[in-house]
Amino acid sequence: MRKVLTIARKEFSGCFHSWLGVLMAAFFFLASGAFFVILVLNYSKISMNPQQYGLSNFSGINQTQYILGSFFSNLSIMLLFLAPILTMRSFSEEKRQETLELLFTYPLSDFEIVAGKQLGILWFFAALLLPLAGYLAVFRSIGGEFEWIPVLLGFLGFWLLGSAYLAAGVFISSLTKNPIVSALGTFSVLLVFWIFDWVDDIATGPWAHVFSELSPLAHYKNFTLGILDVQDVVFFCFFFFYFLFLTLRSIETRNWKS
Amino acid sequence: MTMSMNNPDPSSLIQFENVSKKYGAFHALRNVSFEIKEGEIVGFLGPNGAGKTTAMRILSGFFPPTSGRVFVRGIDMFKHPHEAKRAIGYLPETVSLYPDMKVIEYLQFVARLKGVSAHELRGHILNKMSFCGLLDSGHRLIGRLSKGYRQRVGIAQALVGDPPALILDEPTTGLDPTQIKEIRELIRALGQNRAVILSTHILPEVSMLCNRVMMINQGQILASGTVPELATCLKDREAIHIRILDKKDQNLALKILGSIPGVEALKTEEEVRGEIFISFETSPELDLRPRIMKLFVEQGISLAEIQRQQLTLEDIFLGLLKNGKLGGRFS
Repeated sequence: MRKVLTIARKEFSGCFHSWLGVLMAAFFFLASGAFFVILVLNYSKISMNPQQYGLSNFSGINQTQYILGSFFSNLSIMLLFLAPILTMRSFSEEKRQETLELLFTYPLSDFEIVAGKQLGILWFFAALLLPLAGYLAVFRSIGGEFEWIPVLLGFLGFWLLGSAYLAAGVFISSLTKNPIVSALGTFSVLLVFWIFDWVDDIATGPWAHVFSELSPLAHYKNFTLGILDVQDVVFFCFFFFYFLFLTLRSIETRNWKS
Repeated sequence: MTMSMNNPDPSSLIQFENVSKKYGAFHALRNVSFEIKEGEIVGFLGPNGAGKTTAMRILSGFFPPTSGRVFVRGIDMFKHPHEAKRAIGYLPETVSLYPDMKVIEYLQFVARLKGVSAHELRGHILNKMSFCGLLDSGHRLIGRLSKGYRQRVGIAQALVGDPPALILDEPTTGLDPTQIKEIRELIRALGQNRAVILSTHILPEVSMLCNRVMMINQGQILASGTVPELATCLKDREAIHIRILDKKDQNLALKILGSIPGVEALKTEEEVRGEIFISFETSPELDLRPRIMKLFVEQGISLAEIQRQQLTLEDIFLGLLKNGKLGGRFS
């Protein structure tokens, strides 16, 4: 366990060494902040005169749902860009610099290496989520009201979605020496999963349903609505551990490949 | 042999048993077996692509062999990798370290991964840093260090955890002469209380550093012996080089030389501006030069030069590579 934590800590602090992590964090706060401000302004505009926007009964739309629910939905789109960039270095960079070779000769299991790397990235992602709580404080101070349970579920869902995306990114990063290829590959895979979400809208039949069930976004939607369904949690856990397993297999290929 | 398959010899630190490694259809190592005892400095000598790096990667636990077994202190490397790897320190061919880490930070990272306990950590690292002459560079970024200093950090990371066996893959490649000298001194000091296995394609380096040499080519061990053993082999051989001015005489000269008893490995070395260079090996006791001169003069061959030279490690090595086999000289 100590070794997993050692690798995780190195991975986490590596995000700050390179400026890439800092830049990504800055970009994330800027964009999420912009989303949040726009949503709040929008809401206040509508609440002045709901009839004008075709909403006869404004009490049906609550602040938690309109502002924070939409906020979390928007954040999931940002993850499509964030996850590839956060994970592109994890294995690709070590393969490119050939630092992985030394790691394999230390008394470590492959699992400890993969788990440590994954954990370090998850820490960094969790650290990105913490300041989002600041938005809630601002919202409160300007007189907004929200319910705690749906908001916490939104955070939980976003963290689960992010973990799943990052696991996929780490796997793709373990396939290539080139961080750019890794980032583009991860982006394409996540895009395909995103498109799965639409299949149900444009096609019918059992297959369309299977595809839409495979989409992480379909499972994330419930969280943004404040619904906790065990199925969704199981889906994200499966997604995460499946990619973790693939990563493990991928770095084991050194045993038989040249 | 079958006995030792089941009971690895406990006195030897490292044991290779019939190790083969294939990359697809390419045989990088074929049935290699050897033992290394504590306190030995062993040199792997061979041209590029001979299988040195593959052997070292297997030894370091990077990947398992296709067949055969590796024991470190009697522990099977690929059944109990954790225990076995703890006894090995490895310096890869291209010393690649995290460029954005500080030297001391990096060594701490390595020490934790190698299981150095938290309260010994600081002293342990400072000890390795002072041994490798890195005390002043602890807070510099690895990416900003010169190649020689990076090599020192590489050696320091191999030393962390005090492994009894060190594996150094081409430790002096790409360094300037001063740096090479410093690294060699470091390796000599290291060999005093552990086993060191180093690979090189620089022949003099082996005689300078190693007390045993293994010559490897095409995945096989051609020869293995101590440096004095090799030296005695060298002493009873010498090469004679002959220069002839006229190309027309080449065949006649070769015919005459071929008929003299004691002439071995006769060959035309090269042709430069019509002059022919011929060489052969012989034993130093019988000096054939007067006889050759007499014969050549009688036949009217335009002999320009005749010279005797002791065979160098290089000649033996090249000879071995060419024949692919060893006439039982060292083994």
